[in-house]
Amino acid sequence: MNAKKLTRLALLTTIALIIFMVEAQIPPPVPIPGIKLGLANIVTVYAMFALSPGDALAVLVCRVFLGSVFSGQLMTLFYSMGGGLLCWLVMLLLRRILTKKQLWVAGVFGAMFHNVGQIFVAIALTRTPGLITYLPVLLVSGILTGAFTGLCAQFLLAQLDKTGQNGGPAD
Amino acid sequence: MKTQKFWLFLVGAVLLVSTVAGMLVFRGRTGAATAFIYRDGECIRTIALDDVNKPFSFTVEWEDGCNVIEVERGRIRVAEADCPDQVCVRQGWISNSVVPIACLPHRLVIWLESADSGVDGVAG
Repeated sequence: MNAKKLTRLALLTTIALIIFMVEAQIPPPVPIPGIKLGLANIVTVYAMFALSPGDALAVLVCRVFLGSVFSGQLMTLFYSMGGGLLCWLVMLLLRRILTKKQLWVAGVFGAMFHNVGQIFVAIALTRTPGLITYLPVLLVSGILTGAFTGLCAQFLLAQLDKTGQNGGPAD
Repeated sequence: MKTQKFWLFLVGAVLLVSTVAGMLVFRGRTGAATAFIYRDGECIRTIALDDVNKPFSFTVEWEDGCNVIEVERGRIRVAEADCPDQVCVRQGWISNSVVPIACLPHRLVIWLESADSGVDGVAG
C-alpha cells in the first residue's frame, strides 16, 4: 500500500465518518430503530465502483468501528457491522453487472441488504424472531434512501469522470 | 448488462411487495391484551394490560443498565432508559402488537399479544 492509496482511503474514511456522525445527530423521523438516511453509504458505493472492493471494505469496516466508538454505542457495532458486511457483499456481486448509469441500483440493494443484515443480527442477539415483522418497513425505507444515496454516488462519479479526477486505482 | 428498465422494474417490484407486506403486518393487529417483556430472548415478566386498573411503573435492572417501564390500562412504554440512543423511550406508548418496543443496547423487547391474534396474525 503506497502513500497515495493510504491517504485516499484515510480521507474517504474521514468523510464517511463525518457524514455518519452528523447524521446521527438528526433525530429519527419515525420511532423505528434502523430507519435512517444512511448517507455514509455514498462513500461505500463510491469506493466500491471507483476504487476496488478491498478499498471499499477497508473504509466500511473502519467507519463502522470508529463510528460506534465515537458515538459511544458499542452495541450498534454489531448491527452496523452485520448490515455493512452484507451490503458490501451484495455490492461486490453487482459490481460486475452494473454500468455507470446504474449505480443507484447498488445504493438500493446495498441499503436493503444492510437492513436485512441488521434485522438478523438483532434477531440473533435478542433471540426474538418476531422482529422479522420490522423487515418490510425497513425494506421500503431502505429502497427509498438507498436510491437517494446511490444517485448521489452516481452523480459524484459522473462529475469526477468529467473533470478527470476520479483517480482510479492508485497502485 | 441489464438495461435501466430491468433494474427499475426489479426495484419497483420489491418496493411493491414490501409495501404490501408491511401493510398486511400493520393491518388488523390491534387490540391489546398481554405484554411480554423479554430479556435476551427470555420472558422475564408478563402483564395482562386489560387488568391494570391503577397505572404503575417498575424498574428492570441488569449489569449494563436499567429500563423504567410504565404500565397503564391497555398500554405500556419505556419511560426511562440509561442507554445512549433512547430509541425505546422515544417510541412512547404501545397498545397493540404492530411494532414491539425493542431496546437493542439492553437486549430488551416488549411484545404485546392480542387475545384474538394467533399465529395467523403474523401471516396477515
